[in-house]
Amino acid sequence: MIKAAGIAKSFGRVRAVRGVSFTVEPGQVAGLLGPNGAGKSTTIRIITGFLPADAGIVEVAGFDMRRASLEARRHLGYLPEAAPLYPEMSVVGFLRYRAKLFGIAPRDRARAIGAAMERCRVEAVRTRRIGHLSRGYRQRVGLAAALLHDPPVLVLDEPTSALDPSQVVETRELIRDLGRTRTVLVSSHVLGEVERLCSRALIIAGGALLADGTPAELVRRHGGPARYVVEARDEGRRAEPALRAVMGVAAVREERAEGQWRRLAVEAGTDAPDLREPMAAALAGAGVAVRELSPRHASLEDVFLRLLRAADPAREHAA
Amino acid sequence: MSASAVIAGREFRSFFRLPVGWVVIALYAALTGVVFAAGTLQPGGVATMRDFFALSAWLMLPVTPAISMRLFAEEARSGTLESLATSPVSDAQVVLGKYLGALAFLVAVLVPTLAFVATLWAVADPRPEVGPIVAGYLSLVLLGGLYLAVGTLASALTSNQTLAFLLTFFFLVALLLASGTRLDFVPDWAQRAFYAVSIQRRVAEFAKGIVGLGDTVFFISGAACFLALAWGALESRRWR
Repeated sequence: MIKAAGIAKSFGRVRAVRGVSFTVEPGQVAGLLGPNGAGKSTTIRIITGFLPADAGIVEVAGFDMRRASLEARRHLGYLPEAAPLYPEMSVVGFLRYRAKLFGIAPRDRARAIGAAMERCRVEAVRTRRIGHLSRGYRQRVGLAAALLHDPPVLVLDEPTSALDPSQVVETRELIRDLGRTRTVLVSSHVLGEVERLCSRALIIAGGALLADGTPAELVRRHGGPARYVVEARDEGRRAEPALRAVMGVAAVREERAEGQWRRLAVEAGTDAPDLREPMAAALAGAGVAVRELSPRHASLEDVFLRLLRAADPAREHAA
Repeated sequence: MSASAVIAGREFRSFFRLPVGWVVIALYAALTGVVFAAGTLQPGGVATMRDFFALSAWLMLPVTPAISMRLFAEEARSGTLESLATSPVSDAQVVLGKYLGALAFLVAVLVPTLAFVATLWAVADPRPEVGPIVAGYLSLVLLGGLYLAVGTLASALTSNQTLAFLLTFFFLVALLLASGTRLDFVPDWAQRAFYAVSIQRRVAEFAKGIVGLGDTVFFISGAACFLALAWGALESRRWR
């Protein structure tokens, strides 16, 4: 389990993290999302014990990061951003060093190293120097080092940033698998990644936690009013007034026109029910042929941008 | 195996995987070789390495900062310090481990100079006394240990290896000059203080074969002080 309660950190006059609180339970993969300078890295560094918080409490696997720091770190596997490693060491030499550092008994070392290399698919380069590896392999070696001591808590900062598409899929699968029994916190800029990988998203900006929930919950809670797409043959321009007349429709806007076909975006009012059926009936009544009428689901990206704009109105103008 | 020993082992081996390690070994062997050939290996001279050891304080000046400069500066620059600092290892264990690894490498740097002892042993008649040679090597390890502790502190203060080298080098030069030269413009109390921390005077005693408890304690406690400061500098990184 990871527990952060009211953590705050300032660097001089800059308040990097302001009273962030959340708990990630075992069996959860939580994604920490935020724009550059949001306080993501500082939050991660406080959780992993690299930086002390000015205020608040961090617990990792039940151990207080301030009072029982070594015990907390023993239960933590951490992959920092860009997976920093020693380039002069071989892959297996580096993993052996990390195994000793984490106090893995000599009789268990070879098995632990073998298992971590197999999970992260780095056996093929076990004797190669780390400095001679591709960035993707280096990232996987860093992940193997984080998994070596079989920690109950994993903190992974941008774990797939250097991987090719097939490696991204494999690594996501691995993280999902690890998350079944462990507590996993993943930091990422890639919203789609969090949507696919995480059972929970924590959105942070300006050092404060803006939202916390499953991606579906966040979309439902912060995704705004429902939207629909209608594509209709509408030479007489009867579709738009017919849609506007439907109870619950707040706005209709033409997105594009191709010959006699027009694509319309419909925005429902707040708390409006599912409008597909009344819209279909209204269009049929107006004699308009329809080839598409579908809801347009808000994505985590929409939620993210909406929350950022709400938190910082300056972004609204910039966007 | 303790965490410090694990870190020391990695540090020691890394010197042999990097060009800087081999350059340091070659540089020190070349410098001491010139001193030995020009100063010690004199036909008809007394078979002693006293001058060789007495000069060691100066010979180690370019070598020890080259060993210590990367200890923390490189970890901070490359980001590996973050992995190390989030491992279940205390900052004191990290400082001690890195220092011991560098000290072990310094001993390895001294190994080729045993060839000079063997040469003197083979050609001199009468043979040199063993006591002063053992004491001389002990002084090199103690002196190198003090220099490396200064370098460990400098490396913990910056993420720039060149800056760490220069900080160490110029601090040691200033210390040697201040404590080994009579400075008429400084007050008496300052002269007495400089004399108290004189490095050359203590190395000269070792070179005569005199292993004084006070001199030994001076080098060890001096190194301990700088390591404690390095530990403080590492801790302070978390608060910067």
